Amino acid sequence: MTKDESLSGYNDRAKTIGLLAIVAFGLITAALLAGWIDTRRPAADPNVVDESLYLKGQTARRLSLSFSGLAADWYWMRSLQYVGGKIVNMPENVVFDNLEQLNLKLLPSLLDTATTLDPEFFQPYEYAAAVLPAVDVNEAIRIVQKGSAANPSNWRLYQHLGYLYWQKQDYKSAAEAYGNGAQIPGAPQWMQAMKARMLADGGSRSTAREIYLRMYEQSTDNNIRTMARHHVFQIDAADQLEVLQKVLVEFQTRNGRCTSGWKELQSELRTLQMPIGYFGQCQQLNIWQPEPRFVCQYISPLNGATGSNRYYHRHLNKYDALQ
Amino acid sequence: MLGRILAIAHNTFREAVRDRVLYNLVLFVLLLTGAAIFIGELSGGQERKIIVDLGLSAMLLFGVFIAIFVGVGLVYKEIERRTVYSIFSKPVGRGEFIVGKYLGLCLTLLVNVIVMGAGVSLALVYVSRGWDPMIPGIWPAVLLIYVELMILTGVTLLFSSFSSPALSALLTFFVFIIGHFSADLKSLASSMGSAGARWLFTGLYYLVPNLSNYSFITPAAHGRTPEPAFVMAAIVYALIYITVILAAATLVFSKRNFK
Repeated sequence: MTKDESLSGYNDRAKTIGLLAIVAFGLITAALLAGWIDTRRPAADPNVVDESLYLKGQTARRLSLSFSGLAADWYWMRSLQYVGGKIVNMPENVVFDNLEQLNLKLLPSLLDTATTLDPEFFQPYEYAAAVLPAVDVNEAIRIVQKGSAANPSNWRLYQHLGYLYWQKQDYKSAAEAYGNGAQIPGAPQWMQAMKARMLADGGSRSTAREIYLRMYEQSTDNNIRTMARHHVFQIDAADQLEVLQKVLVEFQTRNGRCTSGWKELQSELRTLQMPIGYFGQCQQLNIWQPEPRFVCQYISPLNGATGSNRYYHRHLNKYDALQ
Repeated sequence: MLGRILAIAHNTFREAVRDRVLYNLVLFVLLLTGAAIFIGELSGGQERKIIVDLGLSAMLLFGVFIAIFVGVGLVYKEIERRTVYSIFSKPVGRGEFIVGKYLGLCLTLLVNVIVMGAGVSLALVYVSRGWDPMIPGIWPAVLLIYVELMILTGVTLLFSSFSSPALSALLTFFVFIIGHFSADLKSLASSMGSAGARWLFTGLYYLVPNLSNYSFITPAAHGRTPEPAFVMAAIVYALIYITVILAAATLVFSKRNFK
C-alpha cells in the first residue's frame, strides 16, 4: 500500500466516523429537544381533545377505498385507547359498565365509524352494548340495531339489543328483540325463553341474573365477561343477603335480641343450605365472614333497611379483592 | 414471438430485482412482525382480524406503489437511455416490447404478493400459536389483489407510452381512486337529470376499470371467501380489460418515432 492510498483510507474512515457522529449527535439532540418542547407545551383543553370526528362514518368509508377494514380496526383501537386513557386518568376505580363519570362523549362516534367502515365487525357492537348505555343508551341501541340490520344472521346482536332495552326497562321491546333473535337459525333455545321471561317478569332479579349469565357465557371479550360476572355476584349476594336477613329476623323475633355470632345460627344456615353461586364461589359466610351483629343491627328490617346498600357494597369490595 | 416477449419480461424482472424493488419486502416483514407482537395489547382480542387487514392492505398499497413507480419508468427509461433504439433495430415488434415489459413487472409483483401472502400466513400462525383456519381464506383475497395490480400495471404502461413519468403516475393514481368509486359513478349517472351527464358518468363507469370487484380484504379478515364464480368472472373481466389496455398502449407506442 502506498503512502497516498494509506492517507486516502485514513481520510475515508475519518469522514465516515465524522458523519456517523453528526447523525448520532443530531438524533440525540432532536430527541432531547422534542422532550423539552413536550414539557413546555400547555396542557390540552379537554374540549379540544374530545373534539368531534372530522369524518362521518359514510365519508370515511368512501375515502378508505379498499382499506375500510384497516380503517375500522384503527377506529376500534382508538375507541379502546380513548376509554382506557380516561380510566387510567381517573383517580378511583371505575366499573366497566358504569363509565358515566368519564364523559366519553366521543365514544359513540368512534364506534359508529368503526361499524360503518366494517359492518361485519362484531366487537364494536358488543362494546357499544356494554359501555355506551352509560353515555347514551339510545345511541347504543341505534348502533346495535344498525349491526343487526347489517348482520341479519347474527343472533347475538339481538341478545345485546334485548339487554339494552331491558336496561331502559322497555321490556316489551326487549322481548321483541329476544324473540327476533330466537328465530335466527343457530340461536339457542334460551333466547325464546328470555322473550317470555321479559314479558312476564322483566324487572325481576332472576331475569337480571339470567341476562348477565348468558352474556358471560357468550362473550369473548374479557372486559364484558368480567362485568357480567360482577353483576352475577351482585345479584347472588343480594339473594343471599335476603336469606340471611330472614334468618336474623327470625332469631331476633324468637329471642328478643340480636345474635352474638354465626355459631348461634349454625343449625338454621345448615338447614337452608346457602346456595353456591354460578361461578362456584363459596357461600359468602366462608368468604367474607361478616359480623352477624352488624348484619342484624344495620340491615335487619326490624331495625330499618337503610344500611343494606352500604353493607352490600362492603361485601362486594371484599369479593373483588378475592378475584 | 413468445420467446422475444419472454426474453424482455425476464430482463424487466432482473432489472427490477437489480433496482432493489423487492427490498419493500423487508419493510413489509418488519411491519407484520411488529403488528403480530404488539397488536394484541391494543386490539382487544382482535389481533387475527387486524393482522389480515393490515397485511393485505399493505400488500395492496406496496403493490400499487410498485406498479405505478416502477411501471412509469419501464418505457421511459428505455427511451431516455436510448436502449430502445438498439432493441427496435432487432426483429422486436412494438407490441412484443410492451407485452414483455408488462409481463416482467407482473412477475415482479407476483413474487412480491406471494412472499407477502406467506408473511401474513406466518403472522397468523404466530398469533394463533399454530394453524389458523383463516389462512386458506386469505389466498383468494391475495389472488384478487394481484389481479387488481395487473390491471393497474397495464394502465401505467398505457399512460407511460405517451406521457412523462410524473404525469403517468398521477393519472394511474387517479384511475386507482376512481376505480374504487365505480359504484358511485353508476349511482351518480342514474341520479343525473340531464341526459348528457348521464351518458358521461355511465361512459366513465364502463371506461374506468371497476376495481371494487377486487376489494376482498375486509371480508377475508372475517374469514369469508369469495365464490369461485365471482373470482373467475373478476379474472376474466381483468384479462379482457388488460388486453384492451395493452392493445391501446401498443397502438400509441407504435405511432411514436424512434428512427
